[in-house]
Amino acid sequence: MGETLEQLVQKDPWQINGKTFTSRLLVGTGKYPTNELMAQCLEASGTQIVTVALRRIPLDKKGEKNLLDFIDLKKVTLLPNTAGCFNAEEAIRVAHLSRASGISDFIKLEVLFDEQTLLPDPLATLEATKILVKEGFTVMCYTSDDPVMAQKLEQAGAHAVMPAGSPIGSGQGVLNPNNIRIILEKVKCPVLVDAGVGSASDVAVAMELGVVAVLLNTAIAHAKDPLRMAYAMKNATEAGRLSYLAGRIPKKLYAQASTPPKDF
Amino acid sequence: MVKDVRLVLIRKRGVLLKLFVNGEPKELESGLSLEGLILHLGIKKEAVVAEVNREIIQPDKRAGLSLQEGDQIELIQFVGGG
Repeated sequence: MGETLEQLVQKDPWQINGKTFTSRLLVGTGKYPTNELMAQCLEASGTQIVTVALRRIPLDKKGEKNLLDFIDLKKVTLLPNTAGCFNAEEAIRVAHLSRASGISDFIKLEVLFDEQTLLPDPLATLEATKILVKEGFTVMCYTSDDPVMAQKLEQAGAHAVMPAGSPIGSGQGVLNPNNIRIILEKVKCPVLVDAGVGSASDVAVAMELGVVAVLLNTAIAHAKDPLRMAYAMKNATEAGRLSYLAGRIPKKLYAQASTPPKDF
Repeated sequence: MVKDVRLVLIRKRGVLLKLFVNGEPKELESGLSLEGLILHLGIKKEAVVAEVNREIIQPDKRAGLSLQEGDQIELIQFVGGG
């Protein structure tokens, strides 16, 4: 009997800055109807890295449970983001606050240019990357699918580059697979597709390009049935990765029969 | 009503501080520490990251930091995000 699915997944881990993971699906914690459902979805997704944000504590909600009460930090690594920052200084400040929690040195660096597109500001992202890498953070950069920018971020020391498939929360999938493929050829650090995936097939497509992992949030949180979608995304990530490693058949112009010619 | 009178009396004695917590003006007793403020607000201290005047205050330093008039305090927590 050949290897099981579980065995194939377990013997295909990926690393980032010395830390090893077997799940190739990173999941966000935003936009869920309830924290309880979020926790169920994280479990169903099999994720080992979850993104979170940092915001002011509401002063009028004494005794309310905190997000971290719903996340098992023994099972997952926290990846705090700098979402909502529009310059390097703000992003660096958020990274410092995150680190002060004592929970994680990982940072998902997002420095945005404008609120409508949520596109990254490449220059500010690069500036913040240099500083945060020097300060010992594990820096995973949200970026566009520009291969030049991906290379510059890697040169600046980014531990991973994370090109968007399409705008955050847009569900449009990977709009420019060729740029993702070029990035994969040009950089050596882990490349993850982050943002824009909307369906399980989008995730599988991204994984079949050869990225190490996919990061998503809205695709699960705003699905009609988030829990079902979380299972779908887990399976799609594994399917896409296995398909990539298995080596697909080439596309041909003409048919090639699967059955030998009739011989009677 | 009793609380208002108490605040007036404290103010008359000059022991109320005006400072800002998460952008909101607050009047608090002089001598209150950052840790005391966090407890007073009913916030779980393990769940909060605190800044005073843009300087991060580590948990072991909070009890020893007396808040001053005009201090800008940020109490931050992890929330859902993508």
